[in-house]
Amino acid sequence: MLSFREVTKSYGTLRALDRVSLDIGPGEFFGLLGPNGAGKSTLMSIAAGLRSPNSGLVTLGGAVLSPQEPATRRSLGLVPQHVALYPELSAEQNLKIFGQLYGMRGAELRSRVDELLEAVHLADRRRDQVKNFSGGMQRRLNIVSALLHRPKVLLCDEPTVGVDPQSRNAIFEYLEQLNREGLTVIYSTHYMEEATRLCSRIGIIDHGRILALGSLDELLNALPFQEEVRFPADPATVPLVERLGGGGELLTEGEFHRFHPRTGYPLSEFYRTAEELGLPPRLFTVQRPTLEGVFLNLTGRVLRD
Amino acid sequence: MRNIFVLVGKDFANLRRNRTAFIVSLVVPVMIIWIVGPIFGLSGSRSGPSGIPLAVVNQSGDPAAQTLVDALKAEPSFGVITTREGPNHSTVPLTEADLEPMIRDRKFAYALVIPPDLVSTERLGLHLTILSDPRNNIESQMVNGLLEKTIFSNVPQLLGRSLQTRAKAFLGSDRLTGFDRSIAEDVAGTFGGDAEAIRRRIESGDFGLDRLTAHNGGTGGGTEDGDVFSRIVRVDRRQVVGKDVKSPQATQVVAGYAVMFLLFALSNSSAAFFEEKNTGVFQRILAGPVSRGQLLGSRFVYGILFGLMQLMALFLAGRILYGVDFFGRLPGLAFMCVCVAAACTGFGMLLATITKSAQAAAGLATLLVITMSACGGAWFPVSFMPPFMQHVARFTLVYWSIEGFNEVLWARGSFAELLPFWGILLGFAAAAMIVATWRFNRSAIFE
Repeated sequence: MLSFREVTKSYGTLRALDRVSLDIGPGEFFGLLGPNGAGKSTLMSIAAGLRSPNSGLVTLGGAVLSPQEPATRRSLGLVPQHVALYPELSAEQNLKIFGQLYGMRGAELRSRVDELLEAVHLADRRRDQVKNFSGGMQRRLNIVSALLHRPKVLLCDEPTVGVDPQSRNAIFEYLEQLNREGLTVIYSTHYMEEATRLCSRIGIIDHGRILALGSLDELLNALPFQEEVRFPADPATVPLVERLGGGGELLTEGEFHRFHPRTGYPLSEFYRTAEELGLPPRLFTVQRPTLEGVFLNLTGRVLRD
Repeated sequence: MRNIFVLVGKDFANLRRNRTAFIVSLVVPVMIIWIVGPIFGLSGSRSGPSGIPLAVVNQSGDPAAQTLVDALKAEPSFGVITTREGPNHSTVPLTEADLEPMIRDRKFAYALVIPPDLVSTERLGLHLTILSDPRNNIESQMVNGLLEKTIFSNVPQLLGRSLQTRAKAFLGSDRLTGFDRSIAEDVAGTFGGDAEAIRRRIESGDFGLDRLTAHNGGTGGGTEDGDVFSRIVRVDRRQVVGKDVKSPQATQVVAGYAVMFLLFALSNSSAAFFEEKNTGVFQRILAGPVSRGQLLGSRFVYGILFGLMQLMALFLAGRILYGVDFFGRLPGLAFMCVCVAAACTGFGMLLATITKSAQAAAGLATLLVITMSACGGAWFPVSFMPPFMQHVARFTLVYWSIEGFNEVLWARGSFAELLPFWGILLGFAAAAMIVATWRFNRSAIFE
């Protein structure tokens, strides 16, 4: 449905996207996961037709997407990173304006506005100025403002930045419902929890390149380890670190070590060594690797860096 | 105490970083003082207007009339014009018949006619004619005052010659010469001095009345002697332009302030650009079936409509409160409002596209609008400024907007006469929009 072919975009000497190729199918909930400055917003803005790539091609349903082709963008809805609404106007006025820009008029528009306000539980506040809404309410309205014209693809550029957990959950539920109804959602985020919960497929992006692509299980299964032992990085564990040797990969993240045992290295061996060094079992946490582990494995950096 | 200094240092660091605050608090006042200073003589130079074009037609052959012309030429407030361009780029002397058309064509706004019978045998006293286009009330009052001052400063000599001429007509040349000699001898006998020298002075019309006027200020207005002179000197005034205008002062004031406030309003609206860009509203709109051209065009149309609304509200208030008469000129005024609004909108959009933030746009707008208003004639006549600034004024939007409104409401200009103003204002709007569009498509406003 939405296809990127060898897309490159540079700002001066900075290469924001480097030969990105990507296909997103209808009905997918696709997550674009990466740290700040990875190229997510550039990719989203090219997908939205706001920017042109320096090279490569972006198509939507076979039609080329570009700033010069406004008609092609009718199938898209964009939820910008910020609350992109007119704060002095009411919720209803905002929705009507954005609907009218897509050519909606009269009863059709009124009905759609009612439907969307109901969907995000803002019907009773429809005539209130948006500036008087809470952050969560504004974010919900921000999302439905992109849905007036019933787009086939919804581009969400980090839509939950600064949102409290309760409102974030409400937004997730609404997006999941939309996706179940057939809407293709492309969701950029630097929160691995969001990608883990929402996305049927995830693309990990860093320095403008797609480093890995697949479902959560596919990404995790591609790791060279299936377990991770986490323990404190303090003087008491130094002898353990020295004795782990070729047992696996050890990464240090702040005050903690992450030990990824190599295939064939039994965890019982690890615990036996720890016991010999007098380290109590409560120091160690064993967990299945997460997307953060995937990112760490791919880049050598933690996602929040 | 140390904490206070730390916090004071922080405030100065903020000020240094905040260009808007820096411009508004330091650069703008300095600019205004620089512009206004010369008007009040603060720069050590003379104050008041300079080089106001004044046409002078001297039809009198009397040497005293030429003295009056020379005195006007010596007055720095005036730029005396005595000739006009003739056929084949030749220069021909101005005639009285040239004056009214040239005033209507805005070649100059004031003219003085010294008639052939300045010193007449038919009557005692002097007769002068002043033609004017008093479209700027403050300037007009100033010019009248300066003209009176110059004329009355020369009245004593002119009056003496007038008395001599009249006396010669009544008494005959021989009897007048005998009378003058007798008077001169009596004066010399009583007060001393050379009787022959006194006689020559009396014959030349020099009765020493200039000392009387110098003693009393010599303005001819308000003093007893001045009143005497003003009865003896008859000045016919002919208003060439704006005779039928009701509430002329209000017309000019409303026009000037309307333009200034419109510029402020539309410049400040450029901040909305940045707000919409920063919040992502532009991105949302442009991600839909809306082109950048449509987005820009909508802003331009809104600016013009808003400007029309504001200008019409001000003129309507001027009508209700001060009787500004524009109903007879409604089509011309409406189109002038459109042109002014378009130019001001273009100015605001240009600001939005050449600056990087709302604060920067606001700071630059404050600087430019106040400067343009000061030197463009919104606050005081352009002629009050130094010659260099008078040239600068012609490059400002405010100048052409005010002159345009005056042409409609004051001069009741015809379509052809209004055309240059419309052309300049729409030309500015077009140029500003071309640059703004280019900047919009290239600048970081959509990034």
